[in-house]
Amino acid sequence: MKSIAFGQYYPADSPLHRLDPRIKIILTILYIVCSFLCRNVLSYALLLTSALLLIVLGKIPLKIVLRGLRGVLFVLAFTALLNVFWTAGKDLIFEWGFIKIYAEGIYAAAFIMIRISALIIGTGMFMTYTTTPIALTNAIEDLLSPLKKLNVPVHSFAMMMTIALRFIPTLTEETDRIMTAQKARGADFSSGGLISRAKALIPVLIPLFVSAFNRAGDLATAMECRCYHGGEGRTRMNVRRLRFVDVIPLFIIVLFGTGLVLLNIYGFGYTA
Amino acid sequence: MEGPFIRTEGLSYLYEDESATPTLVLKDISLQIEKGEFVAILGHNGSGKSTLAKLLNMILVPTAGKIYVGGKDITADDIGDEDMLALRRSVGMVFQNPDNQLVATIVEDDVAFGPENLGIQSAEIRKRVDEVLSIVGMTDYAKHEPHRLSGGQKQRIAIAGVLAMLPECIIFDESTAMLDPLGRKDVMNAIEKLNREMGITVIMITHYMDEAARADRIIVLDDGRILFDGTPSYVFEQEETLKECGLAIPQCTELIHRMRDAGVVLDGECVTLEDCVSLILNSLEKQ
Amino acid sequence: MSDVRIEDLGYYHGKDTPYEIKALDEINLDIKKGIITGLIGHTGSGKSTLVQMLNGILKPHHGRVLLDGTDIWSKPKDIRKIRFRVGLVMQYPEYQLFEETIYKDIAYGPKNMGLDEKEIDERVREAAEFAGLAPELLERSPFDLSGGQKRRAAIAGIIAMRPELLVLDEPAAGLDPRGRDSIFKNISDYQKKSGSTVLIVSHSMEDMARYCQRLIVMSGGKIVLEGECREVFAKSDILESVGLDVPQITKLVMMLREKGIELDPSVYTVQEAFEKIIELYK
Repeated sequence: MKSIAFGQYYPADSPLHRLDPRIKIILTILYIVCSFLCRNVLSYALLLTSALLLIVLGKIPLKIVLRGLRGVLFVLAFTALLNVFWTAGKDLIFEWGFIKIYAEGIYAAAFIMIRISALIIGTGMFMTYTTTPIALTNAIEDLLSPLKKLNVPVHSFAMMMTIALRFIPTLTEETDRIMTAQKARGADFSSGGLISRAKALIPVLIPLFVSAFNRAGDLATAMECRCYHGGEGRTRMNVRRLRFVDVIPLFIIVLFGTGLVLLNIYGFGYTA
Repeated sequence: MEGPFIRTEGLSYLYEDESATPTLVLKDISLQIEKGEFVAILGHNGSGKSTLAKLLNMILVPTAGKIYVGGKDITADDIGDEDMLALRRSVGMVFQNPDNQLVATIVEDDVAFGPENLGIQSAEIRKRVDEVLSIVGMTDYAKHEPHRLSGGQKQRIAIAGVLAMLPECIIFDESTAMLDPLGRKDVMNAIEKLNREMGITVIMITHYMDEAARADRIIVLDDGRILFDGTPSYVFEQEETLKECGLAIPQCTELIHRMRDAGVVLDGECVTLEDCVSLILNSLEKQ
Repeated sequence: MSDVRIEDLGYYHGKDTPYEIKALDEINLDIKKGIITGLIGHTGSGKSTLVQMLNGILKPHHGRVLLDGTDIWSKPKDIRKIRFRVGLVMQYPEYQLFEETIYKDIAYGPKNMGLDEKEIDERVREAAEFAGLAPELLERSPFDLSGGQKRRAAIAGIIAMRPELLVLDEPAAGLDPRGRDSIFKNISDYQKKSGSTVLIVSHSMEDMARYCQRLIVMSGGKIVLEGECREVFAKSDILESVGLDVPQITKLVMMLREKGIELDPSVYTVQEAFEKIIELYK
């Protein structure tokens, strides 16, 4: 259980790591938009290239990125197969009994695979791999700060996120420890039907909740002792001032998107 | 500022809980703690020592009595939020469970939490964080995640987090109770350094005699009352009474007492192991 | 009463990952029957790993744990039965309490064993008495009890399985001196009355010196010392070199010996030190 790498932040010194997290969040959204702008072979090829370029820019080992994709491998394969077999078109290239495979199907499958991979790589490279959870939380708080005027408790949400991130590993270890303790009393978590397995979890869940509540109480006291009184009048150690370099990627991605739109208008290669 | 740093007058606390009958856990406690003192508060579980600690920076509100910190009555009815913040800044607190007092996912962000709440400027926070991490010897861990540290290391981060608020006094509420011997040693050394080198007033709640022996003064609580208040050597003289309330004196002190009872002349106090060695060596030489 | 023998036991944390760490390094050990043995080592010495292999929570990467001459993993499907024979009380066991009443919580283990109501009732009451819990507490909720009482209830939950070997990981952690003494006394009385084998894991040499007959000292996944308390404390230089806090009296004897005073190095209690040192004055 300890091997769960939450957030998957990968420490390295790269242009993407140094980029302002607020910009990275906006870039992620724009990148997602871009991936949906792709229509033809050339634009998908560009999307794939851009994803690979991001991996290089972020200095993340390919192995780590591929491991991230492994989780969605099933979804990828499933949607690809679905597209291969169920897309009807004009260009029949294979027929066996009721199975008919059209060239359009192959294209559709390739396109969808590239799009999903690019989405995952994009969010990973802009956010999870290159930004610490805390920086991400702060950035979200900053971006949403205009909502404070509408009395949305943005700071409280951000604080809750931070605390959740801080305590996930602690509570994971705790779960492990309680499970071991109950196993030592003969608890059986791995056999029986669904209902008996769910029942076997009660001796784990109750102590876990009790401990989580105790921790929450302790933490609240500790925070009060450290002068926490909400977001009012609070400063930050790491204040990020937007530099010009931080804005450049925004231009680039807008350019990229415009390019994709132009490619759609003029059409290059097979168009979905 | 003249007068004692902390003064309590007739402090009482009634513990109320729906499942138990209300009990008076502190009874009429009056004490004074001077600026720069290192005071250990000793007592078994249920003696009221943790309650006393929590009253001193108003996590709990006394049922009766007054508390003055830096001459100011913090139990006054008209005490405002600003006063409360000022109190919490000047009287910091480190708790027992190392896991339950760190807030952030990165060590240095956690240390910055207090000063951030106080609205300190970024550059100044940065400077303080670097300084206090070096004081507790955790500079190399600035970028680490707290949950990967040992208990002793987490406690030192908690100490750094309090230090970063530049407190005048730190209360340690059984901060070593959940640590292994190595962690205890590191934390005790850090506590001693704060007091001896930086002049911070230290109030240490503990049930370990060897830790209490390192303080200037020991206050022994039993059943919500002050049983003894004096230097370690004075308190350790009260062996019988301490035993009755479930506290054992250090082995070396016990040995010296027994030798004295057997008629051996041993002049001087015996608080530490070193005291004991020199007492025995000196008396053997005289033989 | 069963024999516990450990042969060539090895275990790695994070096996087959880049972070692989050797936690146990070919350990060979006999846990002597019918006495209390102490297992000492600093954090990360491998003692908690070893303890979790005795009842099959962790499966060895090589070597065997033999209970009465049979490998506990000879029938992996029956590993749960081993956990009833080797009872493990984990560190801060009060966090495992979950039932509405103490009685039901103590009964959880025996229930998992498939015992009948009458047998369970008998065992719960007996275990509660061994653990020093007053009978009137049995109907209370575990969450209404004091820390020390919760600890006792958790220990009773293991004793109620009537294990042949009872293993306790830091049973007195976080308790005050009075609580420590009384819990160790209860364990010691339990051992005497039931005649079972007990293994206590602890950092505290002073407690170990008082309650254990034999000691095992671990460091870096290996056993560095093993023997009667006296033999182990006589080698206090080794104890200190592996980062253990030896009793103050042992340190005193060491320091006096360094100053050229003739003293038996195996002295480790106040009483003994008193007797030996007083002789110097005669």
